[in-house]
Amino acid sequence: MDKITKDEVLKIALCTKLTIEHDEIDGIVKQLQDVLAYAERVQDIAKDLDIPTNKNVNRQRQDKVISFDFQKILDQAPDEQDNYFVVPKIL
Amino acid sequence: MNTLKFATIQDIKKLLDTKEVSVEQVLDFYLDRFAQIDPNIQSALEIFDKDSILKTYKNSGILAGIPGIIKDNICQENRIASCASKILANYRSPYDATVIDRLKQEGALLIGRANMDEFAMGSSTETSAYFKTCNPWDTSRVPGGSSGGSAAAVAAGLVPWALGSDTGGSVRQPAGFCNLVGLKPTYGSVSRYGLIAYASSLDQIGVFSKTVYDSALVFSVIAGRDEKDSSTLDLQSYDYTKKLTGKLPEGLCIGVVENALQAPELDSQVKTVVEQAIVALEKAGAKIKRIQLPALDYAAATYFILSRAEAASNLARFDGVRYGYRASDISSLEDMYTKTRHDGFGREVQVRMMVGNYVLSSGHAGKYYNNAKNVQRLIRHQFNEAFADVDMLLMPTQACPAFKFGAYDDNKLQMDLQDYFTAGVNLAGVPGVSIPCGFSDDGLPIGFQLIGPHLSEERLLQVGHAYQQITDWHTKNPTV
Repeated sequence: MDKITKDEVLKIALCTKLTIEHDEIDGIVKQLQDVLAYAERVQDIAKDLDIPTNKNVNRQRQDKVISFDFQKILDQAPDEQDNYFVVPKIL
Repeated sequence: MNTLKFATIQDIKKLLDTKEVSVEQVLDFYLDRFAQIDPNIQSALEIFDKDSILKTYKNSGILAGIPGIIKDNICQENRIASCASKILANYRSPYDATVIDRLKQEGALLIGRANMDEFAMGSSTETSAYFKTCNPWDTSRVPGGSSGGSAAAVAAGLVPWALGSDTGGSVRQPAGFCNLVGLKPTYGSVSRYGLIAYASSLDQIGVFSKTVYDSALVFSVIAGRDEKDSSTLDLQSYDYTKKLTGKLPEGLCIGVVENALQAPELDSQVKTVVEQAIVALEKAGAKIKRIQLPALDYAAATYFILSRAEAASNLARFDGVRYGYRASDISSLEDMYTKTRHDGFGREVQVRMMVGNYVLSSGHAGKYYNNAKNVQRLIRHQFNEAFADVDMLLMPTQACPAFKFGAYDDNKLQMDLQDYFTAGVNLAGVPGVSIPCGFSDDGLPIGFQLIGPHLSEERLLQVGHAYQQITDWHTKNPTV
């Protein structure tokens, strides 16, 4: 079993867009380690499987524009101004 | 109003038809019951006020005047849909999920939002960001999860039915823990439009009720194709109670999954009680065949990988920009994303998203995600092979009876392994229904599940209903 390091956890947290507090790291490493150690058993039987892929068929529909009261949507925003969502400065 | 206590949908329909009670009396009865009993059970995140419930009420249809409660990951127009998470604490849905629209069309009274594990991630409803829900059979124990609020509400007789969602067992396992029928339909038979996604390729909305007949009624309302969900199948509107004669189908052959009954994870009392159910079905005329489904032993591992991978992708949308919670005291856009998601999501959700991104990352996808997709195909294949031989499969729903709060605090993996008996059904996309079949020595409910081929709901319900005509487990109620 590959050991997961604290650095790896911090890297995954970055990809997941999550801040991790210092005192949370050990607990998270353990939880990740436990699940992945159990999950790696899929390797045992996954090799040399020759079962065709069963693709789901998706239902198609017309691409119609449906009008919506956008104020109702904007009302949900944590911050909005002049019909735009406001976020912290990027540049 | 004592006639309404622990009444089924069928009972209430009769009382309404004969005008022994009015719709308003029914609604008042259940609202009062919530007010009296739910403080001890805590099944609901919110019970709506009477006027707002009646505002969308339509006085006709299959469920006219029948109250029910909805898991909090299913959108109801102008109501909060929080997924029991802080990140959606104030999110108010601007639209109805397709199932909600259909329930309203058929006259159902939707009276509240049921507690759940945060984003449907858990097997005990303990990961809710708000409060824990108690099992009405023993309030020191969990109701199961993730749809634990829905299950506890029906079990305590606070409503006759509820909707939940089942991604790896989240309807069937709490149904087993609470002495209820829990139906997980075929993937694609019920629209997911308006169901806040956990793992989209596995999620299905399901039904809780005391009887199989009631589940068939609710399923008749919510099933069917929907233009708004491209994964729905071409199902026409159908009355799933039509063939509930109380008799087993002629020549029925049930395959008992022997390796599930022999699994070391299975509690011995659950095994004994399920074996008794098998004997009862055999006596009633079913042919029993013992079969093996070896890939089932890999179902939980496969489910862990695929569900977390899909969750990592699905939950990326909660970023504090368009709706929901946004952290305060932020200095940059990146800071806003990472703090919002750290403070808004609970630990279990955070870990599942991280596992998902790990198994999808370039260095590890081959070992985990790609292998899991292959094993999923093997599981489907073994289910299909079994169905060439038998009409349906039978195995336990749950590994053990309802456990105490905090039982798995130090070993989350053991909690995750609650999915052992249920997740294979989601991976194969087939329907399953859990049915009460007895109690442990401590008086805790136990259920078995019937699993059939794609779109075999009618036959599963037929067999489940026949079983409930020869047994009375489903008529037992907790003291609340």
